[in-house]
Amino acid sequence: MENIQPNDVLAKAEFLRNNLSTGFRDEIVKSLYSEAEKIARRAVKTADNKKYDFDQTVDRLVTSPIVGLPIMVILLGLVIWLTVSGANVASEAIATILFSFGDLGKNFFNQIGAPWWLTGFLWDGVYLGLAWVISVMLPPMAIFFPAFTFLEDLGYLPRVAFNLDWMFKKSGAHGKQSLTMAMGFGCNAAGVVATRIIDSPRERLIAILTNNFVPCNGRFPTLIMLATVFVASAFPAALTSFVAAGTVVGVVLIGVAFTFVMSWALSRTFLKGEASAFTLELPPYRRPNFGRILYTSVIDRTIFILWRAIQTAAPAGAIIWLLANIPYGDVNLARAIADWLNPFGLLLGLDGVILLAYIIAIPANEIVVPTMMMMYMGAGMMIDGPSSNAAIFDLLVHGSGWTMLTAVNLMLFALLHNPCATTIMTIYKETKSWKWATISVVITLGLGFLVTFLTASVARLLGWT
Amino acid sequence: MYYIVAGIVVAVVIFLPRMGLLALYQTYRAAQAREKVEDALKHLLDREQQGRYASPESLGGTLDLPRAKVMTLIEDMEEQGLLESRGNDLHLTAKGERWALHVVRAHRLWERYLADEARMPLNKIHGEAQKREHSLTEAQLNELDAALGHPTRDPHGDPIPTREGKLNRAEGMPITAWQVGDPARIVHLEDEPALAFQQILAVGLRLGQDIRIIEKTPNRYVLSDGENEYKLAPAVASNIHVAALPESEMLKREAIPLFELIHDQRGEIVILDDAVQGFTRRRFLDLGLTPGTVIYPELKNFFGDPRAYRIRGTLIALRKDQAAQIWVRAVDK
Repeated sequence: MENIQPNDVLAKAEFLRNNLSTGFRDEIVKSLYSEAEKIARRAVKTADNKKYDFDQTVDRLVTSPIVGLPIMVILLGLVIWLTVSGANVASEAIATILFSFGDLGKNFFNQIGAPWWLTGFLWDGVYLGLAWVISVMLPPMAIFFPAFTFLEDLGYLPRVAFNLDWMFKKSGAHGKQSLTMAMGFGCNAAGVVATRIIDSPRERLIAILTNNFVPCNGRFPTLIMLATVFVASAFPAALTSFVAAGTVVGVVLIGVAFTFVMSWALSRTFLKGEASAFTLELPPYRRPNFGRILYTSVIDRTIFILWRAIQTAAPAGAIIWLLANIPYGDVNLARAIADWLNPFGLLLGLDGVILLAYIIAIPANEIVVPTMMMMYMGAGMMIDGPSSNAAIFDLLVHGSGWTMLTAVNLMLFALLHNPCATTIMTIYKETKSWKWATISVVITLGLGFLVTFLTASVARLLGWT
Repeated sequence: MYYIVAGIVVAVVIFLPRMGLLALYQTYRAAQAREKVEDALKHLLDREQQGRYASPESLGGTLDLPRAKVMTLIEDMEEQGLLESRGNDLHLTAKGERWALHVVRAHRLWERYLADEARMPLNKIHGEAQKREHSLTEAQLNELDAALGHPTRDPHGDPIPTREGKLNRAEGMPITAWQVGDPARIVHLEDEPALAFQQILAVGLRLGQDIRIIEKTPNRYVLSDGENEYKLAPAVASNIHVAALPESEMLKREAIPLFELIHDQRGEIVILDDAVQGFTRRRFLDLGLTPGTVIYPELKNFFGDPRAYRIRGTLIALRKDQAAQIWVRAVDK
């Protein structure tokens, strides 16, 4: 016994291994399970189980071949309707308060005799940018996230993956991609991180590259504003919120369609391959824990994302103010750049200001609408924002030459355009490759340009504008 | 002045050891040459395992090389002590065989890895393994072997050589010693005498076929694979070596794939298909899909695929492709 060398042990192991049956791993797991079952039988008593029957009934309903998919769309619509109708009121209230506080600050600066550029830079630039972002983003997030977290906590989301998996399989992707898309509604960067749940590297890359086709919370305000101001204004006031929500749902579904098409295209070009194994556990439904829902949705998500938006909105506000106040020839720098971009913008059915807004908004999409508004309203000298939907409509259509085409194409562009800087960085971190980060930008931006160009051309050919 | 600097830069780019263009080109050429030698070795080994010897013609055909280049290659390999020509036959030396087995081992381990862990489709793995088999050292190969859990067969069922260079061939016995009626798999066809070998091939029997003896008289053997019948003289039949079907194959005969269960019909898992290995098998086992467990389909969605199955109280969704790899036996509630 005393002189056993490590090599002897290895040799013995080698010898024994050759005599093992091939299925010994299966046998090990099998014995573990049968032992666990034995213990469970001794320790656990199953009485008449109402919860189990209830779960089964719900499951049969939400995955039902007939009503399963409609229930899904209705739930999505419900969440968006709650967000749209609730956020409208709250946004106006917050805007009024924040803007009046801004006036106070400006007056105070004027009274103590601060130079005009300091007042302008701080209050018309940095502060106004912040005020806009908070009033535009906070209410939708404060409604959307808790509603969404509720569905998540309930255990409904895996059922969505179950319902949609067939379509993902046909596109050469993984059913769990629908879970990462659901995360994308909150934040695309979070959606990209969530793709870690997909085991196959190929399918995970597909999920990463297409996540941006789900409009994130930073882009919802743009969609909601356009849907309310342009689409819903054509309907009676009582229907406004329903029409707006319906429009946003429509845009989201278009995004989902693009996700499938792009996944399909990717798995036939860059990421060739067959759908891999799919196993998904459908956990039992749980009574949502309201305290935790509020905590995760308000602290982890709303405050976190709002803080990120504020960090980018303040410098962006400053940049907008600077661009608007640095003279360039007869006009200011912002106008000059916007004019220079205008021909290209018009080709896409947009305009120069929108493109400039998207360039400034690369760090965070949330500030697209505020930037546009500021530039339309005389570039940075805005005292207070347009207070009602009618005023916004007036500003955009009569003041800035918008048409229905501009609104539709902006919605499409908001859905398809490049990921924000945070998401691009996250893609780089998750894939460890600039190649995929670049491809994610090329695909989305290319598609954004292509689709808006096509709709604009078709609309012009048919004489709709 | 500038010309001198430019000249130096160009010279460095070309002649820099290891990184220069010339060095890169030499590395590339060396890799190409090595690949050719290794492919030739594989061909020789392959032939020897079939009981024949390779010839310059067969080698040229396999490597797709003109005759002159084949002859140079053979000369080079003879010089390196990898093969010996005897007449038109090419024999592997001990050294050549060891190297050939290394390459075969690399190829089959790669196939195992690509199929199990990278989860590449089965029709893609051969080509990919072909590209990768030349690049691993002995030590790296041993690591790969250990990481994969020392597999004994590649995804096509061919044995993987051990690290000592042993190729465990399936053990069989002449079919004349086999029981009438028992299913068997052809594991070897003896090619001496050649006349018998030709006759076996002529009736349409091939390696790997699953057959059983349905009639055995002193004058003839009648074999069947379920569709066709093959009649042979006993002397010829004794050149067919058979072995029992793998246990999994026997179990599958009594079972149906999981996706064939109708709604709410109970099934007891018999076995996981041998085709499922590595990552997917571990996942199946982790989910509790172990033999003997009762499972039944509970939910079906709009598209009919995937379905959700109840197992040990949990609900697990499986695509039809996965459910096809789990073999069950229908049981009563």
